[in-house]
Amino acid sequence: MIVIIFFLISFVFSVSEVIADDTNEISETGKYYDMPLEELVYVQTQSRAEVGSRTGSRCHLCAEVPIDVITSEQLEASGYTELSRVLSKLLPSFNYPRPSITDGTDHAPPFTLRGLNPDQVLVLINGKRLHQGSLLHINGTIGRGSSGVDLNTIPIRAIERIEVLRDGAAAQYGSDAIAGIINIILKGYGFNNSVNSIIGKTTSGDGLMKEADLFYSFPLKQDGFFNITLEARHRGETNRAGGDIQDNGRINTHFGDPDTKDILLAINTEIPKGDITYYIQGLLNRRSSKAGAFYRRKTDSRNIVEIYPDGFLPIIAPKILDYSFTAGLKGTTDDAIKWDISYTQGFNDYHFYVKNSLNRSLGITSPTSFDAGGTRVMQNMISLDVSKRLGEHYLSGGLEFRHENYKIYSGEQASYILGPYSDWYGGSQGFPGFSPENEVSSSRKNYAAYLDLKYALTKAITVDLATRAEHYSDFGSTLDGKLALRIKPTSTVLLRASMSSGFRAPSLTQSYFSYTQTIKDGNDIYTYGNYRVNHPAAQALGAKDLKAEKSRHYTAGIVYQPNKNLALTADFFITDIKDRIMPTTYISKWTLPLSPEAIKILEQYGIDGLVYFTNALKTSTKGIDLRLQYNVDLTSGRNIKFLGGYSRASTSIKGTTQNPHLLGISMTDLVLDEYTRVTLEDGQPKDSIKLWTKYESKKYDLVLNINRFGSFSSTYGKEKITFGAKWTVDAEFSYKITKNITLSIGGDNIFNVKPDEWGNTDDRLVGSNKIIKYSQYAPFGYNGAYYYLRLGIGF
Amino acid sequence: MITRITILLVLIVALLLPFTSWSLDDELRLEAVFLGRFASFVEIPNSASKTQFIITLIDKNPYGSFIYDFYKDKTIHGKPVLIRHVKRIDDIGICDMLFINVDTNTQRQAIIDYALKNSILTVSNSRGFAESGGIIQINFVNRKPTIKINYDAAVKSGIKVSAPLLSLATVLTGGRQ
Repeated sequence: MIVIIFFLISFVFSVSEVIADDTNEISETGKYYDMPLEELVYVQTQSRAEVGSRTGSRCHLCAEVPIDVITSEQLEASGYTELSRVLSKLLPSFNYPRPSITDGTDHAPPFTLRGLNPDQVLVLINGKRLHQGSLLHINGTIGRGSSGVDLNTIPIRAIERIEVLRDGAAAQYGSDAIAGIINIILKGYGFNNSVNSIIGKTTSGDGLMKEADLFYSFPLKQDGFFNITLEARHRGETNRAGGDIQDNGRINTHFGDPDTKDILLAINTEIPKGDITYYIQGLLNRRSSKAGAFYRRKTDSRNIVEIYPDGFLPIIAPKILDYSFTAGLKGTTDDAIKWDISYTQGFNDYHFYVKNSLNRSLGITSPTSFDAGGTRVMQNMISLDVSKRLGEHYLSGGLEFRHENYKIYSGEQASYILGPYSDWYGGSQGFPGFSPENEVSSSRKNYAAYLDLKYALTKAITVDLATRAEHYSDFGSTLDGKLALRIKPTSTVLLRASMSSGFRAPSLTQSYFSYTQTIKDGNDIYTYGNYRVNHPAAQALGAKDLKAEKSRHYTAGIVYQPNKNLALTADFFITDIKDRIMPTTYISKWTLPLSPEAIKILEQYGIDGLVYFTNALKTSTKGIDLRLQYNVDLTSGRNIKFLGGYSRASTSIKGTTQNPHLLGISMTDLVLDEYTRVTLEDGQPKDSIKLWTKYESKKYDLVLNINRFGSFSSTYGKEKITFGAKWTVDAEFSYKITKNITLSIGGDNIFNVKPDEWGNTDDRLVGSNKIIKYSQYAPFGYNGAYYYLRLGIGF
Repeated sequence: MITRITILLVLIVALLLPFTSWSLDDELRLEAVFLGRFASFVEIPNSASKTQFIITLIDKNPYGSFIYDFYKDKTIHGKPVLIRHVKRIDDIGICDMLFINVDTNTQRQAIIDYALKNSILTVSNSRGFAESGGIIQINFVNRKPTIKINYDAAVKSGIKVSAPLLSLATVLTGGRQ
């Protein structure tokens, strides 16, 4: 119904303006012509975008598909430099909760788009695929059962703009482009050098942020460049844990942001030589982070009082190394064929260390610090893209080869072993290490070919047809297509619609993740935990090799741009996904009414219980995106920019796949307990509003950013708890001391808004006035207000 | 399913409406403006025509019909503006300003050399243009125009670039910025 109304409105627009001509365009441009030259060189044009097309950049409002562009001006007006955190304040439908006490996830929290999963977003750097992390989020966080890209590995000062395609695009880019694509364009030719430093902290006195960065551009011959960005960042921990009623109300737990130190490097270089341009782009991030697990009190059976007389808080302190680089060359032939050939490598190593801990089963000789092993991914990719303009039409195509490898490596023996002093508590407390049984090194290859035709039926109607065929060595082949239509009924109105199919290849982390622990029951030894899909026990219990998630996308939208300074867009979308990959619930005789055959299999393999990944669900996500862009040019070089956005995305579960009969339980019991259902359908805000305003003058700037984060739900036991929507306000005042030196003072969430608390519960840990007061699904965290100073020097 | 079918049906109906062409990209419109403004700030001693200021676009015309409409009523140095679009060097003929939008460096260099010999003001948005002997290069960096002028090439062509324009540009002289 909404779509019908929308199109009726579009129709009215079209008919009412059908007699319009290009007079506006000419007269508006004429104003530029009459401007003094010294003002003309300061005119800012509208954002362009490359994503969603293989034919180069174009005005993002003119595209066949909906695109948001976040500029460096928006990104840099913040007291944080973690990209995910900044985007969560600028981009509607971008969700970035700050989970705590969730093992590895604390240190590389996932983000999502449109309420879907972190691995259902494709991230590109200058149009080249960026690898996902090796960490599989397995605790109860948003995005449980997926591995996403860690955007915080990218220094913000290296970024020129971020293009966000709000449409499926697997037919152009391949796997993962289901919720959308984030294309990060690094600063290229002609950017000024800068150094910046930020210091800030929360009004609670913690979360001290110390940051310094440098962007430096070396000009090369023929307008080539070598750009380097360096950043050092130390974000202190925040703690919003309440007192432990069983420990005299003492705050003994950490619940908040981890203490994180990052070193980041980005390079982007282009070296033109005749008609060929050689290029290299790269990112490097080294992160050391620390966060607590749950506190073990003095009398806790997991404690050894000889080591920790007052109890202890295990600290999970991973070291994460992440890098990617692309080296390639591009050019244009005498026949005007543009070509680009490149090699990309991506790497992520997530190495767990545990400190201030012990292995209870080793007794008083237990070490207190452990190397707990880790996970690693490596991606190698070779791609060739060609395109040619044929009159008013464009034809492009390409080939791609990708090789991926996933590894789990074990920790030191003491981190996982079950020793003689406890039947139950083997391994390092807080995070038991990966054992040799978990070790794996699995690879796959992927070949792809695509064709993309942008055909101008008339001057006002463009059709984009794309198709992409892929073959994966593990699960087989895919063939996807896309049809996009852009119609320009008047000089100020554009209608666009698209239909496409897509897919997401099961990640190697989902297929091969294994993390098990050992316990003793009398003389019998059992293991339990996560088993890879091809483990004989998992296969015997119904696990099957994972196949790709399949998707269908429909979008329809309108752009209304009466003049250069005002643009309104509205886009509806539907994304249907089937065979969504999820972890099962814990399969054991203790938790599920399993069949005798299933229980026998568990006993036969000496397994107490297990979790494996499976293609489980069919979902449908529907929503609408509204955008308003308004600029006011004032006198004396002053102006006001306003960007408003509203997004709504609602996911509903439409069905499950067939259950493994042998288990004797339904698929709903196997994958869709109340917690999972609520997390999938209501765990993320269904809607959000972003209102970004900047007043700019020669001497100072003022930025005001108003956010509304919609309500979300979680579960306490089997009870669904809903947390209300909240408004937050960020503000920044920048004073230009000289032409090149700017001092900024700002506040994030200046009214110190916190998410709703859990309310009264019977639980010792979770609830108002308990250790954990807030849901970790809260979309803006729970730190409260944060204030900062930033000094920026351009040169 | 009803929603999906509705989208398709309405799009088909929309196809039946009369249409106009989509506005030219903001960046290209501004670039088109700069062509005329650059011309206002240069002195071409041996102007091609006494009655018209001729701007020739060679190879590709990124501005479409817009540039013709826009300069229809404009004057430069008191002369009405004539916009021409040619495909080959041989077709350039007489002109005051040559906007060069070609695919390869070889083609570009040949046109620059031709313009130099014929005292034509050359303008392009190709990177490396000024370093290659072109006179005015315009690019957009972070959505704002940047201008690069090869002063030596201008002098060699007998073209005088005025101080206000030079003051807003990166000036190449003696092969250096």
